[in-house]
Amino acid sequence: MIDFRPILFVVGILLTALGASMLIPACVEIYSGTPDWRAFLFAGAVTVFAGGTMVMTTHSERTPLNRRQAFVMTTACWSFAALFGALPFVFLEFSLGFTDAFFESMSGITTTGSTVMTGLDTAAPGILVWRGLLQWIGGIGIIVTAVAVLPMLQVGGMELFRTESSDQSQKIVSRVAQLAGWIAAVYGLATLLLTIGLLGAGMTLFDAAIHAMTAISTGGFSTSDQSIGAFENPAIHWILFIGMITGALPFVLLVAVFRGEGRLMYRDTQVRWFFATLTSFIAGVWIAEVVLGREETWIAFRLSAFNVTSILTGTGFVSANYDHWGSFSPVVFLILMFIGGCAGSASCGIKIFRFQILFAATGLQIKKLIRPHGVFVATFNRNPISQDTLESVMAFSLVYIAGYAALSISLGVLGLDLVTALSAAGTTMSNVGPGLGDIVGPAGTFAPLPAAAKWLLSAGMLLGRLEFFTVLVLFAPSFWRQ
Amino acid sequence: MIDFRPVLFVVGILLVGLSATMLIPAVVEIIFGRPDWRAFVFAAAATLFLGGALVLATYNERARLGLRQSFLMTGLCWLSAAVVGALPFTLIAVPLNVTDAFFEAMSGITTTGSTVMIGLDHAPPGILIWRALLQWFGGIGIIVTALAVLPMLQVGGMQLFRMESSDRSDKALPRATQLAAWIAAIYGSLTLLWAVMLWIAGMSLFDAITHSMTTLATGGFSTSDQSIGAYPQPAIHWIITAGMIAGSLPFALYLLAARGRAMPLLRDMQVRWFLGTLGTVIVGLSAAQIIFASQDFSTAIRLGAFNATSVMTGTGYATAEYDRWGTFAPAVFFVIMFIGGCAGSTTCGIKIFRFQILFAAAAVQLKRLVQPRGVFIPYYNRRPISSDVVESVMAFSLVYAAGFATLTIALSVMGLDFLTAASGAATAISNVGPGLGDVIGPSGTFLALPNGAKWALAIGMLFGRLEFFTILVLFVPSFWRR
Repeated sequence: MIDFRPILFVVGILLTALGASMLIPACVEIYSGTPDWRAFLFAGAVTVFAGGTMVMTTHSERTPLNRRQAFVMTTACWSFAALFGALPFVFLEFSLGFTDAFFESMSGITTTGSTVMTGLDTAAPGILVWRGLLQWIGGIGIIVTAVAVLPMLQVGGMELFRTESSDQSQKIVSRVAQLAGWIAAVYGLATLLLTIGLLGAGMTLFDAAIHAMTAISTGGFSTSDQSIGAFENPAIHWILFIGMITGALPFVLLVAVFRGEGRLMYRDTQVRWFFATLTSFIAGVWIAEVVLGREETWIAFRLSAFNVTSILTGTGFVSANYDHWGSFSPVVFLILMFIGGCAGSASCGIKIFRFQILFAATGLQIKKLIRPHGVFVATFNRNPISQDTLESVMAFSLVYIAGYAALSISLGVLGLDLVTALSAAGTTMSNVGPGLGDIVGPAGTFAPLPAAAKWLLSAGMLLGRLEFFTVLVLFAPSFWRQ
Repeated sequence: MIDFRPVLFVVGILLVGLSATMLIPAVVEIIFGRPDWRAFVFAAAATLFLGGALVLATYNERARLGLRQSFLMTGLCWLSAAVVGALPFTLIAVPLNVTDAFFEAMSGITTTGSTVMIGLDHAPPGILIWRALLQWFGGIGIIVTALAVLPMLQVGGMQLFRMESSDRSDKALPRATQLAAWIAAIYGSLTLLWAVMLWIAGMSLFDAITHSMTTLATGGFSTSDQSIGAYPQPAIHWIITAGMIAGSLPFALYLLAARGRAMPLLRDMQVRWFLGTLGTVIVGLSAAQIIFASQDFSTAIRLGAFNATSVMTGTGYATAEYDRWGTFAPAVFFVIMFIGGCAGSTTCGIKIFRFQILFAAAAVQLKRLVQPRGVFIPYYNRRPISSDVVESVMAFSLVYAAGFATLTIALSVMGLDFLTAASGAATAISNVGPGLGDVIGPSGTFLALPNGAKWALAIGMLFGRLEFFTILVLFVPSFWRR
């Protein structure tokens, strides 16, 4: 039997911090003189109480977490954060109802950005801040998880990134803690710079801070129903464009850049592939736009750059209804959703490094077909990839596809049309935000979906965010045995 | 440099054989007193000339085919059969243009069943029999290829089936020709049996023969625009359902059964999984009809069984507009297109055994996550699977997904809407037949698509039929080196 105490201890600490951060929207509400500060204060109290209780009752001489506990801890942290993050939405004057509140909170903490809320432009400022904060916390959370936890758990090929952060010396914990500190500093600094940039480009301080938080976390919540389409200044679009790209780069390498080792970033093949993919999709969509003659050349370039980056990195900001850019756009944007950014960033999706490995594996297969007795080795970042890693990346990708198919069919059963079902499943699993079509597309929201569909999509967000196997392993009987 | 002569020799022999069979529709035309017999005689003469020239020009002490030559031979045989098979369509009194003729012939020889022809009910009987013959040859062709050639080429895990057909005992059936003769005998007698059954159930002799051929080939060309919907007799539907299932089982096991060993057919895990999957889908779809379309029970079961079997086995007959059975049916049909039947049958798609291996591999992954130092081995048909096979199956599945995505993008760039592009790509690479939606759905045809799309789909059919890697390998520079 697994000892749950150390797990609950960690969850408790997380909840206490989350509860404390609810004071920020409460302050904002008081400052702007709107009535919903009570909701945040109350939710904060409940959360701190729950977290505090967990910490008190499970406190002991801290034993290090073993493997199974780490699996349970990861999933538990994210689920509890989503659950308690939903409380403010429930306690609001115009309460969202529990299903919608949980969906919105899960969408925030997993940095998805799908929303069930309309009328954002006139919503209480505290709510808008809380949505931004949830994504911001989710963003730093996943970066730390991807750097510190997933490589140890060897989920979906993440063991590739172990050497860089942890194995180098015996002082693992201290090094991870140190690295996490650095990452948090870089993350905070990037948010600050983006805020200043957006402020300079003409946003209010309120909008600038929220959009900086949701851009760097590749989250995509906005303060307007029209998303970034509400801001006309092209400079704002370009600043957010840079913010989203930053959020999709490996933060370990961003830290390296700050420590004066920019060469590492430049030499990293994952980063190169990411930029190559991004550039070719932007160019392709831009050319198609110009050929179809829908927009003036340079406006088309900006729209293509912004929206392609937004979907590829899984942010989900929109500056135009790309759904209607001609017959090719739904297909291209659906495929973009799955790609995602680099490992160790705030972005989600299958991620660039897995595509690199899949390419290498396919090349290997073809070589083997031609020379069945030859010995060939696949490489990643100039290092050979072990058989285990290869298999685990392939298994990850196939489970991703299978999960996608299962989620799409389930949504179909619940009565969603094919385009809505396919794109909603894709956008939530890949933590992007908007789907395609009239309902969940860039111009719509997830509010009209049936409650069961919202729960399924929330589950899809969590699975996608935690790289599937982290959660799936909890359902294997052998996990709980012995 | 590869020696092309033995390759061209085989192609030549194939063409000579095909030209002889073109006399069958010619005779049918003469019997029915129709004018198009000239088209077939002329096409036969041209094919005979081409094939004869190839045979004569390349004949010498038959050099043996090496590995690379086998790859080349497989691709060339199918391509040239499609090219030559298209000739009659361009020569008839109301000819198809080159694109349509090639599309129709490729759809026939790959047993896809997508059609660009309308007015089948009044089409010349020679044309109808030629379409059926193309599928029938395509069916036997792929069985022999899957048993004799692909295992040797080790394409996408097909090496698993090497033992069963050839390696196990030296005496079993040592030579491909002998194997082919046995398969042909079984295939022929099954066709005869089903023709008689359909005839008794009320089809005309002509329709019974053509449908029997396209049923066992899991092809799906019909003699009516309404496909099997033109026949109201439930018995016909059930006979064809059984025939499609018969065409989806591994023919190597029929071979054993015919020689008095029926046990392997009953004990084979692939067969069990196939029937289990099919049964589940049928139950689900029948329930959907009863719930969403308030269909009566026996009709629901019959339509569910027929159409689910038709799409999953890649046949492509339709007895109803199944994409109107509630919102969930399109998603289900879309997914089961990819599944296919058993390896070594006439079906296409990813195939059941690959799913079994993927499941086994995913389960091993989960176990490894729990116990990273444990040793776990995936099993198939009660035997351990080597990691080479696992990798090659995984690579196959991912290349399949990538091929699907690429074809979908290409089609949507040519102006097809989302549903048509996605389902057209799926139906082509899985050799099913109809897609979804108003254009290429069960009640539409591919006639309306732009020419570029037809060529892209025809290429997709060839790739899907030959399990991708057989063709892909020809595009690798190292294949042609040395």
